[in-house]
Amino acid sequence: MASPADRGRLAEQGYQVTNRAKTVALNINGRPVHAYHGDTVGSALYASGMRIFSRSFKYHRSRGLLCVSGQCANCLVTVDGIPNVRACTERVVEGMDVRQQNAWPSVEHDAMSIIDRFDRLMPVGFYYKTFHTPKAFWKLVQPIIRRMTGLGSVPDKDQPVRHIRHEYAHADVAVVGGGPAGMSAALAAAGAGAQVMLIDDQPSLGGHLRYDVASHDALPGIGKSKGYEAAGRLRAEVESSANIVVLSDASAFGLYDGNLLGIDAGNRTVKLRAKRIVVATGSIETPLTFDRNDLPGVMLTTGLQRLMHLYGVRPGSTAIVGTTGDQGYQAALDMFHAGLRVAVVADARPEFPADLEAAVELQAHGVLILPSHALTRAEGVKKAVGAVVTRLEDGQITMEERQFDGDVIAMSGGFQPASGLLHQLGAGSKYDAVLDETVPMELPAGLHSAGEVNGVHDLSAIIAQGRQTGVEAFAALGGNGSANVAQASQEVSATTTAVSPQVDMAQGAKQFVCFCEDVTARDIAKGIDEGFADVQTLKRYSTVTQGPCQGKMCHRAFAKITAGQTGRSMDETGATTSRPPMTPVSLGALAGPSHRPIKHTSMDRLHRELGARMIDSNVWHRPQMYGSPQEEAANVRQGVGIIDVSTLGKLDVRGVDAPALLDKLYTHHFSTLRPGRVRYGVICSDNGTIMDDGTVTRLADDHYFVTTSTASVETIEGWFKWWMAGTDMCAHVMDITSGLAAINVAGPLARETLAKLTDVDVSVKGFRYMRSKQGEVAGVPTTLLRIGFVGESGWELHFPAEYGEHMWNALMEAGAEFGIKPFGTEAQRILRLEKMHIITNHDTDILSNPIDAHMEWVVKLEKRDFIGRGALVAATENPGRTRLVGFVMQDGAVPHDGSPVVAGFAPIGKVTSSRLSPTIGKGFGLAWIPVDLAEEGKSIQILVDGKTHDADVTLEPVYDPDGTKLRE
Amino acid sequence: MAFLIGCPNCGERNVYEFQFGGEQVVRPKPDAATLEWTKYFYVRRNVAGDQREWWYHKLGCRKWFVALRDTTTNKVHETSWPHEALS
Repeated sequence: MASPADRGRLAEQGYQVTNRAKTVALNINGRPVHAYHGDTVGSALYASGMRIFSRSFKYHRSRGLLCVSGQCANCLVTVDGIPNVRACTERVVEGMDVRQQNAWPSVEHDAMSIIDRFDRLMPVGFYYKTFHTPKAFWKLVQPIIRRMTGLGSVPDKDQPVRHIRHEYAHADVAVVGGGPAGMSAALAAAGAGAQVMLIDDQPSLGGHLRYDVASHDALPGIGKSKGYEAAGRLRAEVESSANIVVLSDASAFGLYDGNLLGIDAGNRTVKLRAKRIVVATGSIETPLTFDRNDLPGVMLTTGLQRLMHLYGVRPGSTAIVGTTGDQGYQAALDMFHAGLRVAVVADARPEFPADLEAAVELQAHGVLILPSHALTRAEGVKKAVGAVVTRLEDGQITMEERQFDGDVIAMSGGFQPASGLLHQLGAGSKYDAVLDETVPMELPAGLHSAGEVNGVHDLSAIIAQGRQTGVEAFAALGGNGSANVAQASQEVSATTTAVSPQVDMAQGAKQFVCFCEDVTARDIAKGIDEGFADVQTLKRYSTVTQGPCQGKMCHRAFAKITAGQTGRSMDETGATTSRPPMTPVSLGALAGPSHRPIKHTSMDRLHRELGARMIDSNVWHRPQMYGSPQEEAANVRQGVGIIDVSTLGKLDVRGVDAPALLDKLYTHHFSTLRPGRVRYGVICSDNGTIMDDGTVTRLADDHYFVTTSTASVETIEGWFKWWMAGTDMCAHVMDITSGLAAINVAGPLARETLAKLTDVDVSVKGFRYMRSKQGEVAGVPTTLLRIGFVGESGWELHFPAEYGEHMWNALMEAGAEFGIKPFGTEAQRILRLEKMHIITNHDTDILSNPIDAHMEWVVKLEKRDFIGRGALVAATENPGRTRLVGFVMQDGAVPHDGSPVVAGFAPIGKVTSSRLSPTIGKGFGLAWIPVDLAEEGKSIQILVDGKTHDADVTLEPVYDPDGTKLRE
Repeated sequence: MAFLIGCPNCGERNVYEFQFGGEQVVRPKPDAATLEWTKYFYVRRNVAGDQREWWYHKLGCRKWFVALRDTTTNKVHETSWPHEALS
């Protein structure tokens, strides 16, 4: 089927991943482009004739495909509104909307490319040098710089949210990398009986063999075979193994403590914990450093091989090849077979590689091969139209130049092991001068590595090493953390040699080292001249290696230039630190879905039926109000109200040492509390600050029922247990919060209401304030506590949560004749504030102690010891500078929680709670103020909505200060 | 931070299931001098290396135990119940 996409295509081959029977239509900048199923956005656009894919970060230079493997940032586009998608790995989908970014009006004609002419005004570290003075100037230029630089733009808020699932996985052996080494390791480990997970970032297994069309002799277990055929054999074996789970299209972006792999698998993030991890991530071809090496048309040789063999895309018509090793010859031969004219192969090594089949074949076809030559300049303005090749002498560039025309400049600067994952867990590295590569060594326990990541490039050796490593990983499962077996790389002799020429700064100002951040060789040399001679500081100063590729394209050249300029060896020069993520990961993949559990009380349905407005209270949803909070509060004061207080934390504390435990943890006495009585208590941390408060009810000699504030129960449970840990205290603490529901019935008519539902004597004398009884209420076994922090006579009923709705309905029915109404947390806040009851961690903070919070009465310093005593003794002797007091406004203003207390306009304190009091009809509340003002009747000023208002300090509750109503 | 901790009750679990309780400190006697209390509140050895410390299996069995951990590598050498560790 002929299609417009075919002009840029090669003949169809079995090893291509595209299916020409299935066309896919996508839009680029609103214009339709035809592609084939299996294409990437990058291959489809390249086949359609596109060469300029993006504009660079800083200078807005035109950039085209470079690596074709998702490593570099040259092909970032916006796909369906998502910015910075790597076109070369993003597979086409029917109707996809692709837009180019970082340019105006288009990448083809970018007005901002004018910046490139003014590169002298933007020297290395220019952010640190320019626009600093005057200060106001920076405010002016900063938004302009921000708009001109950077990549892509943040999606609109109305973009559909992409949900990324988080999954957890486990394996005996995890193998990262689905190339020949990884597949061989997985097969060997699985064959021995291990459960293996194989993670590969490509759509199909095979690694670099998928685009390897060369023949290989005597491959272990395979025999003579083409690269892609060997990949197929191994792939079939992996797929038929019951012990291997393959995760394709998944990139392992981080390796964390405890052998945890972070894996980005598109719509899922997989957290894989493996007993052993084999890293077989291969190696990355690196660019050569020469003038204008960033022009579209200049590409890595492996990138060209991927374009041709995976996607059947014709790279161009004439190729100029520059290489530092054998790789350039194979790529040149592949292009020759694909019908391109190969103008020249420039090899930096002094000798013609006579035993390399590809080189011999090229020579036989009459292709010009120049040993001791290097690419020194690409020609062209927006795209490459030719290149200059210069003779080398002892690795130094001479004056002997030759110029060639060509639209494809293929470069191979050698390979760099993709060893980042290993270094994240602390592996070392060493420069191998024969390979001209920095290989990993001294792997941490639990890690193995195999194949090209170790600097092994011979396919037979890769497969052998993969197998051996798989066996070693399996063997290590049995042993107890036996020392990591020495890597097999020693027995595999280096089969390739490479040599990279010294970069000559004089060869041009546009010799790019870091393509992501637009850092040139001169920038690095200048940074070193300015004193940043260490790779770590130089990286931070020049921004080299800090772009999206995280040094994959540039670290090698960066290290070599630094070594050359400083006269140090590669090992002395070292490497920047490898950290996750290895590959760009969307924030969603890390943040994961919002997972926020919500608890509902057993009466929740009834609250909603009553039209309650709900509010978050820690993990609970609670009714804030059913109507008017002021009316709800008034109804409690005059009649009877009920509130669902099931969210209170509830602990059951038992054991012969339970009294001693509570005496130790609370500032108050609890061993002297008689069974059937209730007491308010405050828990302090050992430095005397308030942690929580609540009631403690003694149900029996060795049995207490403890309530905590809603948010604190888990903390307090842990706190109780911590003080018991390691002691011989005989007590047991259990969180029974969810097991019990609770309702507070309060108001002058609460007694009448309750009496209708229970045989328990609830008379004034029969059931006194701060007592507890057990009995049936509405037929439900209930613990009744006669307490009430709302200030009226009332009962807190605790009963099995299953009866929540039943109890609520029974109370509403029984109280109907007394005008019973439910009240929410807002009315409760008003009522308790009128009684000056604090809310811990709202009216207090982590520095507040009970002395300063005006609660000396709960602190029993006569006890020999309790948690916080030492600090509270000191706090009594040296009180803090502020105290928590009540206040009543003199005028009609009602401050907010958090309103400042001021002297003039200087803040001297703060309001923690404030409401309109239904009792006195004025604003009132609690505030922390300086000690000298904390006296009854003193006057303070509170800033409310920008104006100061006078208030009187009060140390007594505004409602029923003597507490007579509570006892009625 | 993704290391594993062996809870003496539940076995090896992700560190995120646990609450850190700080290095082991000895609480002064009730009548100790203020300086001794102050040291106990605020001064920690902050060891770079092996440290005995408290951990609470908050999202598990809700029990406290003691771990010997290398603070520089997060390697947990051993864990034990408090009465074993303290004896």
